[in-house]
Amino acid sequence: MNADLPHVPVGLAAAPAGAGLHQHIDAATPPWLRPLARALITVNRGVMALGMLALLASALILTSSVVTRYLLHTSTDWQDEASVFCLVGATFLCSAFVQAIRGHIGIEAVSSILPERVNRVRIALVDVGCLAFCAFFAWKSCTLLHEAWAEGQTTSSSWAPPLWIPYLLMALGMLLLSVQLALQSVVSVNKLRPSLREGA
Amino acid sequence: MSMLVLGLLFGVVTLVIMFSGMPIAFSLGAVGVLFMAVFMPASSLDTVTQNVYEEMSSITLLSIPLFILKGSAIGRTRAGQDLYAAMHAWMGRIPGGLGIANVFACALFAAMAGSSPATCSAIGSAGIPEMRRRGYSPGFAAGIIAAGGTLGILLPPSVTMILYAVAAEQSLGRLFLAGIGPGVLLVGLFALWAAFQYQREYRAARRRFDATGQASPLLVDEHFTMSQRFSMLPRVLPFLILLTGVMVALYGGYATPSETAGLGSILALALIAVIYGVWRVRDVAPILSATLKESTMLMFIIGMSLLFSYVMSYLHISQSMAQWIVALALSKWVLLAAILLMVIVMGFFLPPVSIILMTAPIFLPPLKAAGFDLVWFGIVMTIVMETGLIHPPVGLNIFVIKNIAPDIALGDIIRGIIPFVVLMLLTVVVISAFPSIATALPDLVMGPLSHPT
Repeated sequence: MNADLPHVPVGLAAAPAGAGLHQHIDAATPPWLRPLARALITVNRGVMALGMLALLASALILTSSVVTRYLLHTSTDWQDEASVFCLVGATFLCSAFVQAIRGHIGIEAVSSILPERVNRVRIALVDVGCLAFCAFFAWKSCTLLHEAWAEGQTTSSSWAPPLWIPYLLMALGMLLLSVQLALQSVVSVNKLRPSLREGA
Repeated sequence: MSMLVLGLLFGVVTLVIMFSGMPIAFSLGAVGVLFMAVFMPASSLDTVTQNVYEEMSSITLLSIPLFILKGSAIGRTRAGQDLYAAMHAWMGRIPGGLGIANVFACALFAAMAGSSPATCSAIGSAGIPEMRRRGYSPGFAAGIIAAGGTLGILLPPSVTMILYAVAAEQSLGRLFLAGIGPGVLLVGLFALWAAFQYQREYRAARRRFDATGQASPLLVDEHFTMSQRFSMLPRVLPFLILLTGVMVALYGGYATPSETAGLGSILALALIAVIYGVWRVRDVAPILSATLKESTMLMFIIGMSLLFSYVMSYLHISQSMAQWIVALALSKWVLLAAILLMVIVMGFFLPPVSIILMTAPIFLPPLKAAGFDLVWFGIVMTIVMETGLIHPPVGLNIFVIKNIAPDIALGDIIRGIIPFVVLMLLTVVVISAFPSIATALPDLVMGPLSHPT
């Protein structure tokens, strides 16, 4: 195995600058938030491990589906949904980790032409904007989860698994992502401080 | 508020939020939610998350993480270099054979891994230094790899095509097959150009040698013995068998596309475990985490793009724009050219996934009304988006090449790439003139559709 090969994203317009796979605590994190930052790193690591298992599980489930259908001639009814649950769960749960390494790509064309100070304000605004959207999404996921749980909703297939399972994963993932964004917003706003002092 | 004002407002807000640098996924979602809050009934906000979940929980879309897993399993091993070395040994005798070997290796790797940048980095990291060592000009070497890498989104299994299949409601199997003919055509053209450019550089080196006595590695002949050639095969054949096995599973009717993705990724993991000894947790974990990083980012963009298009269609913006385009009564080919031009411009800034999902509801109805086959258009659009991967200002493959060979000047890389962009646009023209290059194979394998043209 060659560790030198750079891993690059699929079909994207711009490579995320310096986005490796390692989380770190930003130097501008206020001391009172450091325990939270450390905790998030640990949680994200655990969640990534779960995501890896879910990814492998879905691949194995789909493979077994092909094998059982053609070797044992039995019908397959639950495999597709089970792997959907695994993959949707992995996607939402891992979104906080991806945000932690700034792996959600955006159009960075503007950042190179803005002066340093304006750019910092831009980054802070973007982070707060993302937080607002994700917090809203997390809140609505929670109400959706509550509804599905209280009404005992199931999917419409013959297997009919309860819908609270994927909704729970979505809600947890979005909550974690919101906490991650809240931390990053505080850090980005914190970074505005020295430049303000310079201006004063 | 009139439709025009609403449409313009929607467009401007989208542009402003996107160019603020907000991640594409969150900007699309935020625009959607914002317009829902202002222009749609309050109850629609309650179902935002349900909408996103229902759109995302499609098993076809969710084959994307598994195809990425298959690609990154193969991409993280030396498989790329081995494939390249074998191609080189077998084609070393042909003039320009090294360049052609690189094009072929890119095409095969792309077909296995399904990703353009991964192809560039896997083949390029061995191919570019070797081509330069053998006297190829740096720009030419970079151009071959950058262009060869773009084949990743055209040859099956391509993430871009999966999205197009979902957005355009076309058969994924048919789209995959339709990509093969144009893919082979592009490989052929790239190889011809590589041979032609090699001859030019060879003659220039010869003239320099005759005039100044300055030797060039281009003038040195290279030979591989038959035993050397055959000793390369055992490491490459399993991957070629994987490639054909997956295709047979899909087109023999043994597996659905998503099952193929699951099966393919398990087989790829098994192969790298057997051939390269990559099976320990610490070897496999980086492959899985890179896959998750990649697929999470993509699936978020996809989920939020679908929310974005849902709002656009609820507010009748997409339908009005589509009707407006139809009402222009442009001639068929002007319409196609205009749409492709817009795709090129969007390709400057956006990844193919968002271009497809954002524009499908606007562009596809007029194209259908004009009598175009949407499977065929998917192929043409994909080739056009491929050029976006290699042309400035943000061609991703250029960054990958800068990463592999930081000492090649950007200007050289771009000069080396331009002929390939021209060849790709030429291919678009050829496929427009002869649509059967794309549609013949799916018609043959899956039975003809009633083509409107």
